[in-house]
Amino acid sequence: MIELHALTCNYGEKVVLEDLTLSIASHISILGANGSGKSTLAKAICDMIGYNGNIIVDGKNIQKYAPKEKAKKIAYIPTKLDVYDEFLTLEEFVLLGRFAHKKNFFDYSTQDKKIAEKKMAFLNLSHLKKHTLSSLSSGETALALIAQALTQESEIIIFDEPTANLDPKNSKIIASHIKNLKQTHQTVVITHDIHLARFINNNILFLQEKQALYFENNFFTDENLSRLYGVKFSALEIVYE
Amino acid sequence: MSKKLIWLFFILVTIIAPFVGSVDLHVNNIINFKGFEAQIFYDIRLPRVVYTFFAGSILGITGLVFQTLFRNALMTPYTLGISSGATLGAGIAIKLGLSSMLFGIAAVSLFGFLGAMFTIFLLLYLSRFLQSSQQISLLLLGIALSLFYSAALMIVFYLGTSIQNDMLIRFTMGSLSVIGWENPILLAVIGGFTTLIVYLYRFELQLLSLSNESAELKGVNSKKITLILLILSSFAIGILVSISGPIGFVGLIVPHMVSKLYPFTIQKRILTTSLFGGFFLLFCDTVTRIMPTQSELPIGIITALIGGPFFITLIIKRHK
Repeated sequence: MIELHALTCNYGEKVVLEDLTLSIASHISILGANGSGKSTLAKAICDMIGYNGNIIVDGKNIQKYAPKEKAKKIAYIPTKLDVYDEFLTLEEFVLLGRFAHKKNFFDYSTQDKKIAEKKMAFLNLSHLKKHTLSSLSSGETALALIAQALTQESEIIIFDEPTANLDPKNSKIIASHIKNLKQTHQTVVITHDIHLARFINNNILFLQEKQALYFENNFFTDENLSRLYGVKFSALEIVYE
Repeated sequence: MSKKLIWLFFILVTIIAPFVGSVDLHVNNIINFKGFEAQIFYDIRLPRVVYTFFAGSILGITGLVFQTLFRNALMTPYTLGISSGATLGAGIAIKLGLSSMLFGIAAVSLFGFLGAMFTIFLLLYLSRFLQSSQQISLLLLGIALSLFYSAALMIVFYLGTSIQNDMLIRFTMGSLSVIGWENPILLAVIGGFTTLIVYLYRFELQLLSLSNESAELKGVNSKKITLILLILSSFAIGILVSISGPIGFVGLIVPHMVSKLYPFTIQKRILTTSLFGGFFLLFCDTVTRIMPTQSELPIGIITALIGGPFFITLIIKRHK
């Protein structure tokens, strides 16, 4: 349960969300035009940026969470990844997600390593585990980020534009994984990808003019999309199956 | 194989290092603790070997810490102006003729240390106005600070007497000569402590190598750990520079060489970098003492001669 109370966020000088109060109790996709504050809202929920108002996650102010406690509650998956350490392998990268759970002083435990293995296998990444991160394609990197987030075993996962850099085929792979993950995690998906949003079928929060519009259904009609985005839509062509 | 040869070579250098210098020593006299040869060996040569090893170790490990935290191979305490800050501080103490002790610490050391700390806090304050994508601006800030400090040091120089200036010049070129065991022990403690703390935070450091945000979201208290590691590094560098003057490029070269020899993640290179730094500086120092120069060549000249071309190749490779 994520509750926003009188939330106001700025992006630079500009106010992007103003006095927003709402509760997010289940899966949600956050849509909106560029600069409407989608990513800003996601970052605020993770307490990565400053804001006014309060954000309560499962009854506790997000700013009151200790870092490790927060990592066990929320995982955030960024759109892209810059890696400075050129020798970091996929396997090592995924294992880093276990940091909040690490008890052993000298190393991650066998249990931690097993969980990392399992998540890589789940996402069909096992054959790449010895490869360095910088050698992976965008599609593989997107999966690596998900694998790392899954090892956190958090309750909530926030996807920040998960298909932004991907071709339709990789987008579909990611979309099916997100849909599956709805069974085990509360998902928050920020996206411009209307096909993705329709496929995973979360309730929709549409950000517009500093406010949020909530849709449980009737979002994906040509009339509605044309009205919201200001572009003429006619029956979405690609269908993820 | 080549790795083993390098370490073997380093060990050989360490063994011959205390026997090299302007006075030839005979093993017999040293073993029997006889005369001034033994005195040179035990009070000058051996302390210098220990001191140099830990100086190199500090330069290597702090270089790795700065590069990792700022995620840029060009960011080291030297390139960011921390060393210059310490040099200016020490220079002011020399000019003021503060050869005495303040609060039980040599005044020159105290001023050098304050110069380093002032610089790191100034950089941390200024970096708040930069976005995380503007790392290169931080490097430019460091270079601007270095130039400013050099100019200020020149003013100190023109105000000084010729004896003070002689001390200043020798100080700014860097020297590893020590007398007695006080400084080697001090540096061994600080160097060992720095490496230990960095090693203890190796998992945090590995996460911070991705980004501050990403480390934070995985459960690392990014601000706290970054601050601890930067202040600890600046502290060690401040002490080192206030005793020996600035020694450039070692912090830049050593982590890079180690990464070429051991292509592993950062957390697995911490102890190796610390060791390699120690041996590398010991090798450079032994070279300065073997060179047939009129008087001993300052260490800063050798490291800059190796480091300058290295720095240029590094920049060119990065843009390929």
